[in-house]
Order: sequence, then C-alpha cells, then structure tokens
Amino acid sequence: MSAKIKLRDLVPFIAFAVIFLFFAAASGGRMLSAYNLKLLLDQSMITILVGCGMLFVVAQGSIDLSVGVTLAISGVAATWLAEASGLPWLLLPAALIIGLALGLFNGVMVSRFKVPSFMLTIAMLIGIRGIVNYIQTIIDVQYIPDSLRFLNLSYVKIPLFLVIVAAMAYLFEFTKAGRYSRAIGENETAAKYVGVPVSKMKIAAFALSGLMAGVGSVFSIATVGGTSMQMGVFLEMKVAMAVFLGGVLVTGGSSAKIYKVLLGSFSITMIVNGLSLIGMSESQISESVEGALLLLILFVTILAHEKSGKGKKTAEAEDGAAASSA
Amino acid sequence: MSDTILEIRGLNKYFGPTHANRSIDFKLKRGEIRGLIGENGSGKSTLLSQIAGIHSKDSGVMLLNGKEYSPRSPLDAYERKISMVVQELGVVGALPAGVNIFLGRTGGFTRNGIISLNNLNKAASAVFEKWGLPQVPMNRLTEGMSVETRKIIELARALSVDPDILLLDEITQSLSMNNRRKLYEIMQRLKSMGKSVIVITHDVEEMLEITDAVTVLRDGAVVGEVESAKATPDMVKLMMVGRDISGEYYREDMKPDYSESIVLSVRNLTVPNELEDVSFDVHEGEILGFCGLSDSGIHSVGKAVYGLSRAAGGSVLLKAGNIQIKSPRQALNSRMAYVPKDRDNEALMIHASILDNFVLPSLTELQGGFGFLAPGRLKELASTMVNKLSVKCTDIGQSMDALSGGNKQKVNLGRWLAKDIRLLVLDCPTRGVDVGVKAYIYSLMREAKKNAIATILISDELSELLGMADRLIVMKDGRVKKTIRRDEDFTEQSVIGVMI
Repeated sequence: MSAKIKLRDLVPFIAFAVIFLFFAAASGGRMLSAYNLKLLLDQSMITILVGCGMLFVVAQGSIDLSVGVTLAISGVAATWLAEASGLPWLLLPAALIIGLALGLFNGVMVSRFKVPSFMLTIAMLIGIRGIVNYIQTIIDVQYIPDSLRFLNLSYVKIPLFLVIVAAMAYLFEFTKAGRYSRAIGENETAAKYVGVPVSKMKIAAFALSGLMAGVGSVFSIATVGGTSMQMGVFLEMKVAMAVFLGGVLVTGGSSAKIYKVLLGSFSITMIVNGLSLIGMSESQISESVEGALLLLILFVTILAHEKSGKGKKTAEAEDGAAASSA
Repeated sequence: MSDTILEIRGLNKYFGPTHANRSIDFKLKRGEIRGLIGENGSGKSTLLSQIAGIHSKDSGVMLLNGKEYSPRSPLDAYERKISMVVQELGVVGALPAGVNIFLGRTGGFTRNGIISLNNLNKAASAVFEKWGLPQVPMNRLTEGMSVETRKIIELARALSVDPDILLLDEITQSLSMNNRRKLYEIMQRLKSMGKSVIVITHDVEEMLEITDAVTVLRDGAVVGEVESAKATPDMVKLMMVGRDISGEYYREDMKPDYSESIVLSVRNLTVPNELEDVSFDVHEGEILGFCGLSDSGIHSVGKAVYGLSRAAGGSVLLKAGNIQIKSPRQALNSRMAYVPKDRDNEALMIHASILDNFVLPSLTELQGGFGFLAPGRLKELASTMVNKLSVKCTDIGQSMDALSGGNKQKVNLGRWLAKDIRLLVLDCPTRGVDVGVKAYIYSLMREAKKNAIATILISDELSELLGMADRLIVMKDGRVKKTIRRDEDFTEQSVIGVMI
C-alpha cells in the first residue's frame, strides 16, 4: 500500500511503450521517419486539445460525448460565416464562440436540469450531426480562407498548440478550477457541503470542453485545409478512449491528470497510424483490430487496478494498518 | 447444556503485516450482555467479524455450544443463529427496506422464481412488530433514508435471524436517545430469553450501564475483563489507553463563559418538514449545544446554518458584514466551517489523498497570483496539520481510506482549524471515535473557544453536550423547546424531561 508508484499508474506507460515498440518494429522503422512523426503529432494534436477540455468534465464524473459534433459545427459554421461575410479572420472567434455556446448549453442542462451528461451529450451528438450534414450539403466542400493558411505552418501550429496545452495543464493541475473539479468527481456531496460551487463548476467544465472543441476545429481546418461531412466523426470516442486509456477512471476524481490525456492520445494515435503503416487500413478490418487492441489494453488496466486495488478490507483492519504504521 | 455458549481459544488474525487479533481467549455465557471496548484499531471489530463469518480466522479455535465453529459466510453464521450489525452502513441503497431485511435469504419468499414482495414485506414488518422497532416504509429504497433509519433496518435484519448471539458494532452512536432506549430494551429481552449479546461502543459510561461484563482490548490483545457493576469509567479508560486521560475530557467549570458580541443570528428559520420558526444567537467564544430526539431537527439546524437547506422563511444572518447565508459557498467565503455527521458520505473524499482532503476548504486562501496553487504551499499546510493533530499516517499522499475512523475525523475537523474561521458548526463530531481521539476533539473545541470562535455543537450524546456547551437548546419536532444555560438546571434528567 505504501509503495509510491502503483501498478495501475504504470499500465498506461507500459501500454504506450508496447504499442510504440510493436509498430516501430512492424513498420520496419517507417513509423519513426521524420514525415511520419510529424503526421503522428498532427493527428494527436486535435485529440489532445479536445481531451484537455473533456478532462474537466470527466474529472467531475460526467462525460461529454458531444465534442465531435461541437468541433464539426464550429468548424463548418465558422468557415461558412468567414466565407459569406468576406472576413476570413472571423473564422477564429466564431469557431470558439460556437463551441463555447454549445458547451454552456450542455453545462446548464446537466447542472440546472439534472439531465445525465451521458444521455444529453448523445442526444446532442445525433441532433447536431444532422445540422452539420445539412449545412455541408448546401455549401458542398469548403476550403480554409487563404489568409489563414499560415496556421498550418509547423512553426505557427506547434508553438500555438504547446501554449494552449500548457495553459490547460496549469488550469487543471494548479488552480482551484481543477481541484474543485476533481473534488466533485471524488464526492459531490462532500464538495457541496464544504462550499464548492458545484453547479457553476459543472457549467464551467462543459463550457471549457465546448471551447476546446472549438479550438480543435480551428486546428482541424488548418490541418485538413477545409471542412467536410467527415469532420469530427467518431472524435468523441477517440478522445474519450484516449482519456481512459491514459489511466483516468470513468468516475473521475483525483485519477484525472493532464499527462494522462497526452499519453492516451499518443497511444491511440499510434494504433491508428501504425495499422495504416503496416497496410492494415486497406484490409477493411482495421477498425476491428483497433477495437480489439483497445479492449485488450482496458482489460489489462482493469486487472492492474484490481491487483493494486482497494480490496475487501474492513475499516477495522485498516485501523490496525494505520495504527501499526504510525 | 453448559453455561458457556461461545468459547474462543488462541485466535489470531492478520491483515498483511498487521496483527489484528493476538491469541485472543474469550468466553461468553448464555444470557450475557458483554461489552468489547478498546481504541480504534485495537481489533474489536475484527474479532466480531470473525464470529459473524465476515472474515475467517488465521489460527485458533472457536467453539459454539461446545462444537467446532468456523462460519464461511455471514449467511452460514445466520444458520448457526449468530448475526451482526456492522459498524459501517450495511444496507443496499438501491433495494427497498423489506428486501434488505432478508437479503440473501429471499429464497423462502420465492414462488416459481419470483419473489413475493408482499409476503416478504409482511414478514419484515412482523420483525419490527415483534421487537418493538419503529416501523419503516418497507417498499421504499433505503438510499433516501437517514443514517438512523438505515441502522434500524440493519438491526431488524440481525434480529430476523432470532439470534442466539447478537453482535452489535457501534450501533448506539447512530441512534438517537429514544431509539437507544428501545435497543437497550431489546438487549434485556434477549438476555431474559437466555440469548447473548456482544456490543461495541466507544461510550464508556453507556457501556458500563448496559452490559454485564466488559472485555478490554488493546493492540489486538485482550488486556482485561471487568464486571460492569464493579468498574468505573476511569478504570476502563485507563485499561484501554494505557495512560490516565481524566482531566483532558469535558470542561469542569459550570458557568457559561463567552463574549456578548453576536457572531450569527438565526431568526424565524423555517425549512419545510424540518425546521419550524427557529431563532437563536451564537456568540464569540460560545459553544452552543443542540439536543433532541430523532426528528427533532437538530441536524437540520447545522445544514440550514451552513446554507445547505432551502429555507421557506426566516434568515441566517452573519453579523460581520451583515451577510445573509444562503449557500454553502457564501458560508465558506464568510469564514464559516461545517463538519457534517456522515463523515464518509458527506464530508470526506475517501479515495483521494490526505493532502487533497486537507486543502479543500483552504484553496481560496492558498491561491497566489493568477490563481496559482503552489504544490509546496499545499504540502506545507497538510503536513503541518498532520503533525499538529498527530494524524496516524505514513504519508500525506496516502489515500484517505487507509485511515481509521478517529484519524479520518481528525482530518475532517482539522482541515477547518487550519483556516481563520469565526463560526464552527459541528454535527456529532465524536461519532465513531475512541476516547483518546474524543478527548483530543474536546481539547480542540476548547482551543477554538479560547480563540473566540463561535461553535454550534449538535450531538446525540447528552453527556458530551452537558460537558461542553455554554448553553443548550433543546428541540422537539423542529422547534426550539427550551434554552438552558450552563449555570441553570444543567442535568441529564432536566434535559430529557424537556426532550420527551
């Protein structure tokens, strides 16, 4: 019990290492080419950015499955607005504001009207996807305004990414917002009884999750070069998987850590990227292989959790343990 | 048949490196009410849980009616007519009360694979009837019920077995005065039927009153056995702790002693179904006690004062800054503190670290520029308090659930004392802690009093209220019945007279 590093905290690292070594070897080193490493980073960025927002929600013990469609609608609508108004720069604030607004809506529904976040965000996922498809069919393919193409330059995109992630890490690990969120996930009643503004924190967490989906949409448009119906499809699953794969528990609380989002995002991106490198993506079953791999990792995580877990000791037994160790 | 119903010889139990029970010898007579007492971690619950089949022994012999007895499960123990009410809450919240009574034994009510809830509830009601317990709605889920009601359901479950030996682990602490009386009656009834009871409680006075004999445990071993009629509380406490703690306990002065300036003023406070037109003032350096039977509303007072209830009328006014307290957040920001009754569910983050629990109420004060919470400052606060309160732990990063009840309570109360507070609301602060920690909590209360902190002390233990309070408000049915000052008729009899 007193061991500082618990087995279950190591599993995500081991999983990361195993995935890395496997695909590095299986791809005959192609995974480590400069081109592919940049691709890996590009592909992870969006998952990480959106994951950093979702982390606040997950820490509180809720889930936000609407991040994929929020990213899509932010991107599609903002690009459309920029195009229609002739003000290309409008794209940036518009994407952020649309994301934020949807997040706020989710937050208010969850905290004020006690709608379970799982149900609510699934409904959003379905409903808003329809709107995205509708807009996209009207306007067909859209491209990023030329004056914003510089966003995809590595020396712009990477520093921007790092600054945003650092800000999120600061907010989550070193401020009241993060600590209160984790407290809500640990024990909502206790948090409320201490005086944590639980409702406000819930709204803030969903708002942040929406905002980060908006940020993600800008990165997505910059990387892809435009918007399409495929934008953000399955992203919520990828992000949620990254968060849980990184070792955050579904119940949130103090298991939520920023580094776990990074770790999980890289792991999941490597799986997708690795499968395509070794030619599995053409074989139609790559998604099944992806799913099987994830299942395996989750299984090991849970097993490790039980091993180092909180067992079936009675309070008195732990009384004894505490007394004898003093 | 021999006089002895249960005999234990050389019983040992280990939890990892912890030697929880050390070669215990124990004999229980038919029709005996036996008390088990000892500090937190002395192995009382471990001993009972082995008799009840929750844990299995590592070595030693248990004889029931002279025959080898080693139950594999609580249900196994039920069949041998032994049942237990455990210390932590042992009802399943998502199941109705009636089903909880016959949990694991619903087979008798099953026809064609379907449980007849009707028959089951009737049988459950009959158990309550038979033992004179206050009836509960059998169809309702237990998760919405109070701690006390859930405890009574557990007691009914244990009694439904018609036990030859009933094991009670700290049940009285969750019961209010009237239901405690009922429990004592039930124990006497079992005794007169020739059945035996083993009971654990931290209240030494109560223990000596209700038992025939007391076994004292320390560090997992039996250190002595005394006849209750011949023992004094101080004698037992000395045996438990191994040192004399008399004098560290209640106050000895019999005069109210506090400043005239009012800290908090409650006027005509009404909370639907809980409080009715409640008014009182609490002053600097005052300990204001609240007592009453179950449903008297004393626990609601604490919640309402801390802004946790939706009041239908009246006001809770903090004099400094003229602040109306309407939310717990306001209360927190106004330097108030609240220690709820249900430690594990309402107060602590059980799976989080000791540090996380310690710093939670102080985060605003700990912030630097840009809202920065420096890890070093958090650690400093937590380790200072851990040392000051001598919380028994290996590390402040340790998970809260590794601590004993008493140490959890030190964290629960101590984290507020790390702050500059002006009002402290305590709801049953010594529930489930041993005399050593109890004495310490009283000394903390005295220290708070000296520092001019106003304290609202809500408790189910009259002796504690009489021992600590400057004034005592007696409540009944959500109303204030009477306020008694320390220098007036401050005795148990007079208070009980008002309560009933």
